[in-house]
Order: sequence, then structure tokens, then C-alpha cells
Amino acid sequence: MLKYLIILLDKSSIPFCHYDRKGSDCGLISVDNLKEAIKFGMKENLMIQFVYPEYDLPNEYLPIIDSIDHINIKPFIQAGKDDICVINISDAGELIQQIKHDTVVVRGTICEFSHNINLFKNLIYNVGRVNVVLTSLTQTQNIEISLYSKFLDETVDYIVSETKKGRMLPKLNILTDRLTLDKMNNCNAGTETITIGPNGKFYICPGFYHDSDTDIELNGLDLTIPNKRLYELDKAPICRECDAFQCHRCIWINKKRTNEVNTPSHNQCVISHYERNASLKLLSKLRENGPFLKGVSIPVLDYLDPFEKIINK
Amino acid sequence: MSQPFVPKTAWKSGVAKTITFIVTKDCQLACKYCYLVGKNEKERMSWTTAKAAIDYILAHEDFFKEESVIWDFIGGEPFLEIELIDKICDYLKTEMFRLDHHWFNSYRFSFSTNGINYDSPKVQNFITKNHSHLSIGITIDGTPRKHDLNRVWKGNGEKGSYLDVVRNIPLWLSQFPEAGTKVTISSADIPYICESVLHLFSLGIHEVNINVVFENVWHNGDDEAFEKQLMDLADAIIDNGYYQDFTCSFFSELIGKPLDIERDNQNWCGAGRMLAIDAAGNFYPCTRFAAYSLRNKKPIIIGNITDGIDSDKLRPFLTLDRKTQSSQECLDCEIASGCAWCQGENYDAASTSTIFQRSMAICRMHKARVRANNYYWNKLYRKIELEADICTKNTNCGLC
Repeated sequence: MLKYLIILLDKSSIPFCHYDRKGSDCGLISVDNLKEAIKFGMKENLMIQFVYPEYDLPNEYLPIIDSIDHINIKPFIQAGKDDICVINISDAGELIQQIKHDTVVVRGTICEFSHNINLFKNLIYNVGRVNVVLTSLTQTQNIEISLYSKFLDETVDYIVSETKKGRMLPKLNILTDRLTLDKMNNCNAGTETITIGPNGKFYICPGFYHDSDTDIELNGLDLTIPNKRLYELDKAPICRECDAFQCHRCIWINKKRTNEVNTPSHNQCVISHYERNASLKLLSKLRENGPFLKGVSIPVLDYLDPFEKIINK
Repeated sequence: MSQPFVPKTAWKSGVAKTITFIVTKDCQLACKYCYLVGKNEKERMSWTTAKAAIDYILAHEDFFKEESVIWDFIGGEPFLEIELIDKICDYLKTEMFRLDHHWFNSYRFSFSTNGINYDSPKVQNFITKNHSHLSIGITIDGTPRKHDLNRVWKGNGEKGSYLDVVRNIPLWLSQFPEAGTKVTISSADIPYICESVLHLFSLGIHEVNINVVFENVWHNGDDEAFEKQLMDLADAIIDNGYYQDFTCSFFSELIGKPLDIERDNQNWCGAGRMLAIDAAGNFYPCTRFAAYSLRNKKPIIIGNITDGIDSDKLRPFLTLDRKTQSSQECLDCEIASGCAWCQGENYDAASTSTIFQRSMAICRMHKARVRANNYYWNKLYRKIELEADICTKNTNCGLC
């Protein structure tokens, strides 16, 4: 059942997930389309998330946006404390002391996170929650997985040492979410979330708006999702066997890399399993100091890609 | 006591990798039911492309771990390219030997041909050279009127090809006595099914593999006419005792049973476990995903001879199962076993660009087949039972 509506206010709205913008042109949603989109969200009882560009919106848009309870997703330079703030890790250097938001989405490639690990360590204790989003995952070449593994290990060690000093466990999607999840908690585009682009049309997620290669056509403002069942976990043969519950399970990367919305790429699975296994390391190390999250158990696996488990069945 | 004829299972069934060279998209015929919508005379595989494909495949033994290999040649009509095929096969043999490849002693060359130039010297020389490693199927659809209804010459009006094919059947059967033929049934063929299968038996073909086309070509009433034809065929096979020496794949004890959603969850088709290569050097999960096979969708290319196989593109095929692609109606079906599907047709007919949506175009035809099949086995086993009864009473019954 749909729960969330993402409205991209502009063609140049800040990318907050794995996708990139197509070009840097601006193209503001029309007032009429914005009103229609909001009306749709109200009628369907959806929580609306507005995604902002880097420039200030015209004044006439603000009361329209404020006509409904909503969440703002904004670039760092626009974001207030309660907004979801989006920043690239490679741009965070000079701004680090100013990032005090409740929720921060930090984007970057594996190399960028690896090069900026000290910055990242500072960040996770400055804000309420950090969502790491890796970019460049649709490329065909091998990912720098050893770099990512090292990055995760160092972050685990840092969190353990800070916890020993008495600091609270930070909220970090790639390491701490898995500690408390007992089922998949993915992006759920197409099942729980739907997007309206600045052209007023529906998209499965912003990735599909920006990427014309992924040929999923939704029908204007009449929201019918063809083959909707394929977005459900139960119809994803690899994901339904998986316990990397924190995985984004990015539908757009699935489509881009494997041609199918319900099938993850090898890289997506391996990355999620490195994160899952790092969560297990974190849990084990925290328990060395005494009882911690009693009842939580993350089993040791002999694979990094559940595809192997399925084809060996 | 009479017993049903049991056909041999396919060579290395389940353990062999099938690698298909689409050597040409040309054919002498223009069969009306042919799923190849993009046949043409231009796209012929070059030796350079074929060699590069072989070099890639044999150099990646770790990726191709299957115990055996079937090197399959398809068209169009593959024997139009017999010189290229001969060169490919020679190269394969020398390279598998030179590389000490695990397939060297476990390979087959496989062909599905229209049979028209089967007796040509070049084809016959090739057969003599490779006989012990060959599987060749000639497609003949049945009686002249059934065969010529669909299998007509290209660019020659409605001229049928029956006579051009049937003349080669004796030679073919003398070289491959256990060979079977493959028959395809579309809507217009239904009235001729019974006579056609019996005709093929009379030509000495012991194994007739036959199926209805997967495309949505069926009209109201086709299922009833189909059932009637299969009932007539069942009567003829049983009453005349043909079941002892011949087999027709329409009748199988395994079909028409409910399937368990977890235990019987495997995919029907081998797309993705096979590999097909076209003249451009592109790799496909099966020939049905090449552009010339598709009416509505873009081809699914999983790699090429330069960059190799993109294993991400194979993941959906290798994880496909019955549960994920079937509708609830199919999952709940009480006669689901034996209801086949073609992954390529599923993709082509799907409402989105996915292989995870099973076409239900043959639903009523399968149900008709199951009814006739039940009739066949009930009648056959009763006959065998009665014969056994006579045997126990009379040791000189003449039936054994």
C-alpha cells in the first residue's frame, strides 16, 4: 500500500539517493501540477516529501507547499535543522561544523567515503541520523569493495571506542539499522513510495525520472503501476531469501543493471552484505563490554551474495 | 504383454550446456507459424565472429562448468551455412583437444533443419565426418496437406515444401534411426493433428515431439477441436498398438497434476542456462531473445564476444521460478503439471519489459490436452490390464 509521495519540485532538485540528475538545467514544477500532486497525496493519505533545488523557490510556491503536512529534502545550503539535509561527502570538509541536522543524507562514491573517513567519523556524532548513499553503483566495472570493507571496519572500531567513552550509539543506516531490524526495510519504491516529477508525471522513483534508459512508463497522472506485484519483496527471488535487512534494494539500480526491477545486481548484494557483516562485527565488539541488545542475533554467513545460495539449492 | 514405448531422454539432459550459433537469419521457407519475425538474407555469421565466440567460451572454462556441451546450430536454416559450420566444428574439435578442455570427450553437434538440402554432398560429407557426435532433427509436420499448410517456400506463393523434405526422410532415418521430429501446431493445423502424427509414424519416425505454439493465436472452439483430434489420435494409437513402437509427446503420464508451490517451483525453460550467439557477436540467454525473434520488445543482450558475459544480466534468468512469474490462477491450477511456457514469448507478450510475467495464451489448450491425455492413459492401461488377464488364463494368447 502506498504511504509516501515524493514530489520533485525542479529538474535540478537535489539527488538524494543512488541516481544522478540528468544535466544541470532548472525546470520548476508548475503551480498547477504542484497543486494537483498535493491534492493526489491528500486523497491517497500519503506523507509528502518535497525535494528542493539549490535555488530559492518563488514565493508563491511556499504557501502551496505549506498547505499540507510534509517533509522537506533539501541541499545543505537550503536545509533547516528539521529538514532532511543532503550533502556529498567530498563537499562536507569546510562545512562539517555547520551540519547539525536531525537527518543527513551523505552521498559519495566508495573512494570518496574512503578518502574522507575522518570527516565522516565527525559527522556521525554531530547529527541525529546519517544515511549513507553510495553513488556510481550502476557502472559495470568491479567496485572498490576492499576499500569499502576497510571503511566499514574503521567506522566500527571508531564507534566501539566512542561507546566505551560513554557516547550514545549513533544512528547510521549502514551499520546500526541492521542491529534492530528483523525484516527487510528497503526503499520500497513502487509499493510504498511513488514519485511525481516536475513535469507532473508519475515515476516509480526519482531515478526513473532522471534516467530515460530505464523504460518504465507510468501513465501520466493516472497512477496504475503495470506489473505492480514485481515490486513486492515476495516476488523478488533473491531478496526474499536475504537477511541484509538494511539494504536499500534500489529498484532503479536493479532495472539498470539486470533489466528487472525485482533482481539486484551482484555489486548491490555484496555491498549490503559487507554492511550486514560489519553490523555483526559491531554487535560482537559492543558485547565484549557487557550485555548489549539482548535477543538480537545476526548469523554468520558463508556467502556475500544470496544469489549463490539460490543457484546452489 | 504389450508395453508403451519409452523414448530415449535427450543426450546428457540436464548436465549439458547448450551453446547456439545463429549462423544465418535466412531460410528457404517462410513458414506461417514461424516465431522469427526478423528473418533476412543479410545477417550471416562470419568466421571471424564465430572464432572469437569460440575463443571466448573455451578460455572461460570456469564460467562454463557444465559436464558436457551441445554445440547447436540454428537459423533460419542452418545448413545454408554448411561450409561455415564445418569450419566451426573442425576448430572446436582441435581447440578443445589443444586446450585439454573438459568438453573434449563430451560434446555433441546439434541441428534442427528443414531437411531441404539434407542430401547435398556438403551436408553429407559433414555428417560422415562427425556422425558419432551428431544430433539432427528434420522438421516435417505430417501429411502433405498439413505440412504444406504452413511450411511454404519463401517468395513462391503458397508452394508447399512437403515433397522436398519427405524425399530425404529415408536417408535421414538410415543415418539416425532413433531421431525424432518436432511438430508445431497453430490454430489452422488443428484438424490435421491425428492424421499427421499417424503419417509420421508411417514414415518410420518413432518419436514425434509436438507442441502447440505459445503465441496468443488461439480462437474460440480451438480447444474443443484440439481435444477431439487428440482423442482420435489416442484411439488410433491404442487400437492399432502403435504405443509399443512409437511415441507422441502429447501423451505423458506426468501431465495434468497439481503442483506444489514450494517443491515444484522450478522454471520450465532453460533460458539463461543456454547461450546463443548471433552474427554481430552478441550473446543472448536463448535465441528467442534475439531481435529477429521478438515482435514487441527490445532484444535482451547479455554480453558480446569482445566484452564477455555481463553476469548481472543473467541473474534474473538463473533465479526465475514458477512461483514468481505465474499468476495466482496458474499457481492454484489443479492440472498445472506439463503446462509449458517459453520465456521468450513470456517476455514478448508481457505488459512490461520483464521475463517475470507468464503468458497464459495456451491455458485452454493445455486443459484440452489434459482431458485427452487422461482418456489416453485410462484406455491404454485398461487395455494392458485386460491383455494381462488373458495372458494369465491362456499361455498361448499370442499377445506376448
